[in-house]
Amino acid sequence: MKNRYMNPYIAGTMLGFVLLLAMFLSGRGLGASGGIKYCAVSIVGAIDRQHAEESIYYSKYFEGGKKPLKNWLTIEIFGVLAGGFLSGAISKRLKFRIEKSPGISNTRRMIFAFLGGVFFVYGAQLARGCTSGAALSGMAVLSVAGFVTMIAIFGSAYIFAWFFRKNWI
Amino acid sequence: MPGFSEKTGYEESVERRAKRQPKGVKTFRHLDKQTINMGPLSSLITMPEWLELLIALLIGIGFGFSLEQAGFSSSRKLAGMFYGYDTTVIKVFFTAAIVALLGSQLLSFLGLLNLNMVFVNEFYVNASIVGGIIMGAGFIMGGFCPGTGLCALSIGKIDAMVFFAGGLTGAFLFAETYPLILDLANGSYKGPLKINEVMGISPGLFSFLLIIAAVVMFWLAEIAEKRFARPDISNEI
Amino acid sequence: MIMREKFSAGLLCMGLIVALLPISAGRSLSVRPQKLMVELLDEKTYFSVDQVAKFLVTEDSTVQFFDLRSPGEFSAINIPGSINIPYNELLNNDPGRFLSDENIKKIFYSNGDFDSNYAFAIASGLNYKNIFVMKGGLNEWFKTIMNSNFSGDRISARENALFETRFRARKMFSEINSLPDSLKVKYIEAKHIAAKKLDGGCE
Repeated sequence: MKNRYMNPYIAGTMLGFVLLLAMFLSGRGLGASGGIKYCAVSIVGAIDRQHAEESIYYSKYFEGGKKPLKNWLTIEIFGVLAGGFLSGAISKRLKFRIEKSPGISNTRRMIFAFLGGVFFVYGAQLARGCTSGAALSGMAVLSVAGFVTMIAIFGSAYIFAWFFRKNWI
Repeated sequence: MPGFSEKTGYEESVERRAKRQPKGVKTFRHLDKQTINMGPLSSLITMPEWLELLIALLIGIGFGFSLEQAGFSSSRKLAGMFYGYDTTVIKVFFTAAIVALLGSQLLSFLGLLNLNMVFVNEFYVNASIVGGIIMGAGFIMGGFCPGTGLCALSIGKIDAMVFFAGGLTGAFLFAETYPLILDLANGSYKGPLKINEVMGISPGLFSFLLIIAAVVMFWLAEIAEKRFARPDISNEI
Repeated sequence: MIMREKFSAGLLCMGLIVALLPISAGRSLSVRPQKLMVELLDEKTYFSVDQVAKFLVTEDSTVQFFDLRSPGEFSAINIPGSINIPYNELLNNDPGRFLSDENIKKIFYSNGDFDSNYAFAIASGLNYKNIFVMKGGLNEWFKTIMNSNFSGDRISARENALFETRFRARKMFSEINSLPDSLKVKYIEAKHIAAKKLDGGCE
């Protein structure tokens, strides 16, 4: 039961090769929060096109008739979904469930998951990258931004960990 | 004063010399091909859009597959990093970064990859730090980061779906509040700074130091897992 | 956990190898004497100081100046916005950072003609494109731009434009070079940062 996941060092090597392949083929690193951003932008564009074209933030994604979904990052996150599903299917981990500590209610888990998403992607847009886009890919190209962002994420998570400990342990 | 034409001096002189060359005289044109072997491929050949997106899809599949195989589709496993009972995060993270780093340095040395054409994250000092702090809070609240959240979503975790919905909301909030935080988001721009430039050492030497630090962290992680072990959680995830 | 030990040992070995590698082995100096001679004698390789003055005054963003002199000489006086690559360090540090953007015209200058021409030969030999030399170097710059004076009765429109450019370049040169060092560094850094726009990131 305990060791059904791949050895972390082997999984890390595999991930490293995927990142290296991305650098070699496309000249860039991986990314995830950017893809979520493009999804949000295209939803806003679909609902209220006029607002999107007037705003200083959204307009750059629609100028020249560009479609925000037709973008390296967006297609890449579709790939992430497919890859995760494939791995789950192979390892027999596909199941609809809510994963949480037994000490808290489902509702509480959902609330914090939602808030976590809001905070994380907001911060990722500000820092121009998430753990995969800035921290991981940034470290692989030795960028200062990557290192600083990584230290900020992990440092702050450790500090906040004490306050949210009831949710996990 | 000679005027300058649209073509560069280099191109024009090559042209002129080629025209002047009597037949039978050996030219050195073949030596122009010297730098053609260098990746990244996208800078070498102009790829049609569908090919670029296909590559993105395949890379994403590899990304998602590796993350899920490592177990990152479980929020309790990810959160374990910050409570000590499961340090897989740091092992996978540093291993992946170092493998990619070493690989790219070697490819660059062999002339197969031009590192100047690979994207380097641009450094906005305040935005990186403040954004990182907000992300840390989000990480410990939600137990996911966007990449792992998508992974978990794909295997059916409902909390990951809620995390994704929150993510869309967060992106929307950022877009709407963008005019207010414009200065924070775009201030103190330092360019695509590389850490070995700042420290004044070669990339290879820095990679070596990073590996030493990572190995130390791997050992500390092992010790922490024994000390903060929670078998009740570890057996469930 | 045997995997951890094997892994760490492997990474440390690879790290040691990579640490000892030379940096820019990707490009090597290919000696093509015939081609280099042609380029060095070709007038299109050179920009006159008046053309450089024009670039400076119009703040042309497709142009980047490179000062091949020592750091001391550079901080004393330089063409505003230029990047200092000391001539004898051209091969030691990886110049690819500055020289590989093919869309930018890169203009080398030194005090006279020699260092900039040699640097041009090296950079060209390493297959960097779009490299030029300011003919006459800073000596010519001072003679023509800084000390130029119109003498005579009448001035044609063309000469007027020429002297106007020289005057403005002179002003810009003196102003920025008389800034205190800290501000000068900031101005130089601001131009230095003009990054090539590569696609990427998680944004």
